[in-house]
Amino acid sequence: MRPVRRAASLAMVVVAGGLVLGSATAHGQTSVGTGAKIPSGTSAAVLTKDKAQAILGKPVTSATGENMGRIVDVIVDKVGMPRAAIIDFGGFLGVGSRKVAVDWNALHFAPAGNAEKITLDLTRDQVKSAPEYQKGKPVIVLGATGGTQTMPDGEYPLDQ
Amino acid sequence: MYAYEKRDPEAHDRPLLTSSRRSLRGLDGFNFFIANVQTGFGPFIAVYLTAQAWTQIDIGFVLTVSGIVALLGQVPGGVLIDAAAHKRTLGALAAAAIAASALMLAAWPIFPLVLGAEMLHGLASCLMTPAIAAISLGLVGPHQIGERLGRNARYASAGNGIAAVLMGACGRLLSNRAVFILTAVLALPALIALFRIKSHEINPDRARGGPVIEGKEQRPLHGIADNPPLLIFGAGMILFSLANTPMLPLVGAIVTMRSSQWATVLIAACIVVPQILVAILSPWIGRKAESWGRRPLLILGFAVLPIRGILFGVLASPYLLVPVQIFDGISAAVLGVMLPLVVADVTRGTGRFNAALGTVGAAAATGAALSTALAGYVDDRFGNTAAFLGLAGVAAVGFGLLLLFMPETRPMER
Repeated sequence: MRPVRRAASLAMVVVAGGLVLGSATAHGQTSVGTGAKIPSGTSAAVLTKDKAQAILGKPVTSATGENMGRIVDVIVDKVGMPRAAIIDFGGFLGVGSRKVAVDWNALHFAPAGNAEKITLDLTRDQVKSAPEYQKGKPVIVLGATGGTQTMPDGEYPLDQ
Repeated sequence: MYAYEKRDPEAHDRPLLTSSRRSLRGLDGFNFFIANVQTGFGPFIAVYLTAQAWTQIDIGFVLTVSGIVALLGQVPGGVLIDAAAHKRTLGALAAAAIAASALMLAAWPIFPLVLGAEMLHGLASCLMTPAIAAISLGLVGPHQIGERLGRNARYASAGNGIAAVLMGACGRLLSNRAVFILTAVLALPALIALFRIKSHEINPDRARGGPVIEGKEQRPLHGIADNPPLLIFGAGMILFSLANTPMLPLVGAIVTMRSSQWATVLIAACIVVPQILVAILSPWIGRKAESWGRRPLLILGFAVLPIRGILFGVLASPYLLVPVQIFDGISAAVLGVMLPLVVADVTRGTGRFNAALGTVGAAAATGAALSTALAGYVDDRFGNTAAFLGLAGVAAVGFGLLLLFMPETRPMER
């Protein structure tokens, strides 16, 4: 699971910054099939579909296949590591949907080899009463069930 | 019949009292299909753009800009419809523009195109609402407009509901993009229905609240700023939309929080119940507005809103919130008919029916825009019981205003 998650977080950077520049040595991929010119002096990594994916706007399901909404934003810490994903959860025809922050570690990208899928270690019951994510306020991150969480200053786990 | 025609000031310049069945059916169809088309521009845009990896900031910006355009365009749209000789042509242009903006959204969801499409849609809608009102009044005249507006509301509500189901299924089974192609395609039956209305049966003078009483139409705001019943009604509408607009979103948020398995179904019911009621009740309200007068119905429509607010504030079970939406259906049915009807009543003889309708519409929309933010703030700070009771208070002020100051506006010569 680890490498997949790492690749996904790299894809996040790609999504967020629109940059494809990274350390080629870290990945050791060379096959460039796009024919795009890469300026000399920059290194480039190639992430194929089975290695990484863009996640903004992607639907999320629970382990049992419940619809958990879509990823609309990602919260990163000071060094750029993803801490939480904001999912737009619930509602019908735009009424009653809420934005909820869920722990990054509760998300699984490409579970069981399914590259198109993103699952969340939480159920609708656990997410429904979570406080809404609001800009400019401390982010309250909903953690996975039973998962031990070490939260730095200014963050606190939400007990069910 | 002769005695009636002699007392009717409009009778002499229009020998045909009722329009043809074909025209009236055409208007039914136009209301239905335009409601279909407009449904595509509701909640599906945000879902579509989110799925296209748009950020919430960009989506919010586009929706805000188009909302402002749709607000500012209402009065000019009404003025234009009042001035135009061919109301049907403008209705067709607006329908075509809305279809074009749906195609733009489907074709290429990039920022400038989406922004342009949303602004085009906002402007076209500013023509569409008064065009439908003007065609209705031009076809049937001031004595049957109540019944006509009741039928309009029935077909529009049915069109909204059926399109929401159709487009929801389309989005799920095909793609979110297909929703906008379907939206554009539905403009075709709308245009066919529109062109079944015989243009010569739309009396352009009647359609703008004419014929103008001699020596009046001089000052630019004549019929609007110097029209006390219109101002009272407009103030009532502002208070109504201030109180009414945030209620459904707040209820939706509560249902999402209190129920997991049934949340979607309950929210869907909260949306559908009032729509079904509007489709059922509107024609009856239109008829009763002619026999009872406007005032008793207006008072009923305004009275149920504070009750709804209080019930939402005190009821805890998410399942009990759905039946409370019956009150939403009642007030939506009443005001859907009464808004254009009362404005038609009080602008008779001014030639400014659509300009006045746009003014009241813009005022109510401003109230709605402000209230969602305000209610969200109250909800956040003081909880949703306080928010609902506050909204009920605003609604009660609107009710009191109507009860104390709103005169009966039904035309006398009947």
